[in-house]
Order: sequence, then C-alpha cells, then structure tokens
Amino acid sequence: MILTLNQMVEKVLSVKRKYRVAVAWAQDPYTIGAIHRTVSEGFTDATLIGRSSEIINTCRSEEIDENLFQIVEADDDSIASSMAVGMVKNGQADIVMKGLVGTDIFLKSVMDRENGLMLPGAVLSYVGAIQIPAYHKLLFITDPAVIPYPNLDQKVSMVSYAVDMAHRFGIPKPKVALIAASEKRGKHFSSSADYSTLVEKAEKGEIKDCIIDGPLDLFLACDKSSVEIKGIKTPVNGEADILMFPSLESCNPFYKALMLFARGELAGIIRGTEKPVVVMSRSESSVSKYYCIGLACLMV
Amino acid sequence: MVLNRLNDLKNIVAGGPRKKLVLAAAQDQHSLGAVLKAWKESIVDPILVGDTESIQNICISNNYDITGLRIIHEPDLLKSVEMSVRMVNSKQADVLMKGMVGTSALLKCVLNKEWGLRTGNLLSHFALFEVATYHKVIAVTDVAMNIAPNLKDKIAIVNNSVSCLLRLGYIMPKVAVLGAVEMVNENMEATLHAALLSKMNQRDQIKNCIIDGPLAFDNAVSLESARHKGIKSEVAGDTDLLLMPDIEVGNVLYKSLVFFAKAKVASIILGALAPIVLTSRSDSEQAKFDSILLAAAACK
Repeated sequence: MILTLNQMVEKVLSVKRKYRVAVAWAQDPYTIGAIHRTVSEGFTDATLIGRSSEIINTCRSEEIDENLFQIVEADDDSIASSMAVGMVKNGQADIVMKGLVGTDIFLKSVMDRENGLMLPGAVLSYVGAIQIPAYHKLLFITDPAVIPYPNLDQKVSMVSYAVDMAHRFGIPKPKVALIAASEKRGKHFSSSADYSTLVEKAEKGEIKDCIIDGPLDLFLACDKSSVEIKGIKTPVNGEADILMFPSLESCNPFYKALMLFARGELAGIIRGTEKPVVVMSRSESSVSKYYCIGLACLMV
Repeated sequence: MVLNRLNDLKNIVAGGPRKKLVLAAAQDQHSLGAVLKAWKESIVDPILVGDTESIQNICISNNYDITGLRIIHEPDLLKSVEMSVRMVNSKQADVLMKGMVGTSALLKCVLNKEWGLRTGNLLSHFALFEVATYHKVIAVTDVAMNIAPNLKDKIAIVNNSVSCLLRLGYIMPKVAVLGAVEMVNENMEATLHAALLSKMNQRDQIKNCIIDGPLAFDNAVSLESARHKGIKSEVAGDTDLLLMPDIEVGNVLYKSLVFFAKAKVASIILGALAPIVLTSRSDSEQAKFDSILLAAAACK
C-alpha cells in the first residue's frame, strides 16, 4: 500500500518505463520546471509543443538543457492543445499535460467528440491525492476543480474514479466518506438524497470494491476519537481513504487550506479520459506539480 | 490593531471591568471546567444557573473549587435557560453560555420577543482561528449557524463580524468573500454575492471594512498565490475575515483547520444583545476557554 506521494513516485520508478508526456503550449518556466524534474529522474520522455523559440529561451534562462525534450512547433494555444491530445489519441504519448494554455481551451481539445480523449459516456472529473502530516495515510478527494455541483450520475462517476485510483495505490477496499456539514440527513442539504442513493448502490453491489458511508462530517470521516465520542456506528470509522464532497465550492477551499495551513501536498489528475490528463494551476507548488505528473504515470 | 494570537484577547479583557458570564443549565462538566478556568484567570465572573446539587457533585468529583461562586438553583432545564437569558436581557450579565441544554432550546429563549436577546439583527456564528502557518489570527464566518445565507443575510453576517472585530480593536478589517474561483461565474451564486458585497462596500453601503471577492482560499490567505494569478487586491494575502458561501463549505473548512492544521479556535454567536458561547462536546477544553475569552473581549 502506498502511503505517501514519495512512495507513489518510487512505485512509478520501479516499473522502469519511460512514460511519454505531451505538453500543450509548454513555453512557461513552471511547466518546463515540473516536467524537467520527471525527465531527469528518468521516468518520463516529454514532447513540448508550442513556440519553439520561446521554449528554448525559457529552458536556457532556467538553466535546463533543451535537448532533454522533443520540441514541436505550434503557432497558437488551441492548435498546441489539439496536437498534444492527438499524440495521445494516435498512441505517440501516454499522458497529456496542460502548459500555459487556459484550462477551457485545453479541455475543449480533450473533450472534442472526434479527436478528443473522452471515454464513451464518461464524465470529466478531477481526483486528487493529498498528503497531510496530520493524517496517517493519503486522502483522495473529489472534485476540487471540474464539476461545480455534481448530480447523482456525476457523483457515481466521481466515486468510481476515486476508488479506481485508490486501488492503484494498493488499497483493495477503500473507505469512502460522503462529506456534509453533519451526519444527519436534512432537507437543507442538497446532497442528502444523492448520498442515500450512493450508499444503497454500494449495498446492492452497483458500486464495487469500496465501503461507502454518508453523510459524514469531516471529524467522523477522519478522526476515530470523534466517532467514539459521538457514539456513531459508521463503517468508515474515522479512517476514510476517499472524501467525496458535495460541491467544488467545498472541496476547493478544503484542499487549498490543507496546502497552505496544514503543510499538505497534492497530486491530482483529470479522469473520464482514455489516458491521464494533467491540469495544474500556476499557483501550485513545484513539488505538487511534480507529483501530479508522477500520479499520471501511475494511472497510465 | 490586529490579533496575532488568541492570547492577545487577554490584553483586551484585562483593560476593562470584569464581565459577568451566566452559564445556563450549569450542571455540565464540559462547560463548567472551562468557565471555572476563566474565572480563576480573572477573565469573567461566572454566575451558574442550574441544579445546585448536580453542580456541586460535578465540582467535587473533578476537584473544582467553587468557593465564593454565585449559584442560582433552578433544577428545571428550560427554566434555567430562561432565567439566564433574562439576566442578560436586564443587564445583570454580559455573556450567555450554554451548559447542559440543547442548542435549539437555548436559541428559542434567546429569540423570545418579550425577554429574549433580539436586536433585530440576524444571529451568526463567528470563529477566530490561530494557525501557525498564517501571520495573524483569521476570523471565519459563518460555519455553524446560517445554512444557506442569501445576499441580505450575508450583509448582516459581515456587519455582525465587522462590529465584533472593531470591538476587538481592528480598524478597517480586510474581508475576503470566499469562492472556488476568483472570477464571477454566473452559475455559482456565491461568486455573484461576492461581487455585489464588494461593490456595496465601495459604495459605502457596508462600512468600516474593506471587502474583496470572490477570492479563492489560496488568494485570500497567500500573497504569493494571488501574485501568481495576477490578482490585484488590498485584501488578498492579508485577510482578517473570511466569509463563507454557506455552511457546507464553512463546516468542512472549520473542521479541517482544527483537525489537520491543528488550529486553535474560539467562537461565539453574534447578533444578540450579548455574545453567546455555544460550544459543543467535541470542542477541546482549550477551545471552550478561548471562546469564553473571546466573548468577554467582544462585549460592548
């Protein structure tokens, strides 16, 4: 079982394979810095797509050898995105990664009906793995970035993506906590009904290979002593592996608070696609960016 | 002035006359311990209303010395709450605290039209966090009282909190209205509220503070994150007060700061004639003490 993000990278390294990453609109120092570390550690080969002169200039000003990468010329961000997606589509790359291009433009290429990477009928969603010193294992969260207010079907997909990711980390039956403000179901809380349905689906075996309970508040999900004090019986029992949030609005500040105030590190990728898609925000730390690429390799 | 630590509240309390705190249904070990500690440290003069025998038994079995403490015998729970509320209403006490009684029963008395503590303002929850990784104390509202506040409610919540911060010595506190994104998104109501609150502040409709929003959590508390995103804001990175979109977001954030970021927290209810201390069993002894301290400092 993988307990830390460093162990995750070790696992990727142990495969002794070079994952091919296509980077769309790759001329900024943040993107190049993150991908460079994975190339120099030997687990990726990167193709940087964008204005080649700018890519080379950025490499030089960052003191990075541009010959470590394959550089492909593209004139604008939307062309670069579809080229990068196309490389994955036709088997020339295993992972596609967003560079300086806006998320909207990039995801448009990813979601393109003919040339995109969406699995049939799939929902696009983001799953993250957070490492927090105050928790004894990794915590998988969904969705801090893509779906604002998930409906029931989207929640089912979100859970299955997170469960699938937890399996790759060697957790055979991850515990999924459906997060709310309280463990009490209430008409005030829009997710209550969906949460009941998710629990039922898991009981009927429609959602497999995991344990689901909710609504649970964060304490009941992650703190065993709270479960004891409150005297509540829950199979999650304060040891959640996966936190499923009712909305992007609640998941987003949660992970950012952990990053900034609890010394957390995040690795996250987009799911619902044929191959892993890496989208990172500029404000993420360089370590988190490196972990995002590592996670994508693990999920190939 | 800003608070750097919760302990700074002691300086505020030391500067004025000792406040009287009435503990309603005082036969409650959890709240009694914190009240007596605050009494020993000269933070408040407590008045205990409740079943004298039970109170004394608790004190004996916990070695609490209550010599010289005022106890009013009222064995009936609801009557003891009513009596406590009436004492605050008639200025015989400055702070109301909940003991062995449910929150809803206490609030029902607080909202009584004849002898309650109504001011015409909305009641709201106000929490102060001390996090080692932030450069000062940060206030957060509303994580516990108002479930899904509309714009009018949010104006009231900001006004309650800003008045409280002014009483604590702040001048023009910086208010960040939290969103999952910093752009106004017509599908996310919280971002619309945030934009309106900011504009109302510019037009002096909400006074005595500087409001900016929407700000994502990282931009609200980290200048570096805000710079990465190119956000120009007086509030970004230096937030004194963080306004939550709703209770679902606030509750998770509150609990993650306490559990994962090991934050110290003090919280009170605002909007009534006097501050109300409403701690729960799961709060630590320290959090209960700090909440009493905050209430004493926040008295008019």
